[in-house]
Amino acid sequence: MSNNSLYILLISPEHEKIQMAAMIASVAAVSERKVTMLVSMNALFCFERDLPLQPSYQGGRMSDVMKDRKVPDAIGLFKMGKELGEMEVYACSMALDVLGWEISNLTEDLFDEPLGLTKFLNDAEQGQLVTL
Amino acid sequence: MSNRTQIDARGAFCPGPLMEVIAALKLIEIGDEIEVLSTDQGTLKDLPEWCAKVGHEHVETTQHDGYASLVVRKAK
Repeated sequence: MSNNSLYILLISPEHEKIQMAAMIASVAAVSERKVTMLVSMNALFCFERDLPLQPSYQGGRMSDVMKDRKVPDAIGLFKMGKELGEMEVYACSMALDVLGWEISNLTEDLFDEPLGLTKFLNDAEQGQLVTL
Repeated sequence: MSNRTQIDARGAFCPGPLMEVIAALKLIEIGDEIEVLSTDQGTLKDLPEWCAKVGHEHVETTQHDGYASLVVRKAK
């Protein structure tokens, strides 16, 4: 049986895609949709703890414009989504293992715990999956 | 009589004004209102849409020179 839960698989380090993920996740979470996001691959490097935020984003023309115009930072939007709605953020356990990282290596107060792809995909069968 | 709190979100980009309204709604009583000032075009449709979806009341939208004022009443 399906429901209106939203699942986001974020693997890209591109600023534009991370920004879009943050907008989708935060707006969905405050619109009474449960949001579950799994962060993996190169996207993880953008969430390395204590890293200056925007310099870590890779991007194109839109990224330059967004930085120049001071569009709300993606990390801040993710955190607002968690604070104001129902949102869970997981780090891919395989990627953490490969990097030798723990949750403590990632942005503070954002990640819930490591999660395997199988569990994520099984859960995502119940809702809508967006990959960025 | 309801209280009205004003948020000046002019210059903020989507979804900034919406998120500011939602955060402010958490802090007020049912029946009280939030007025948000916004230069973001998306807010004009997004905020009434959000209100309709989650059950708050979009009271009015007023256009001013270069920005809009939207009023939301907390309904639950």
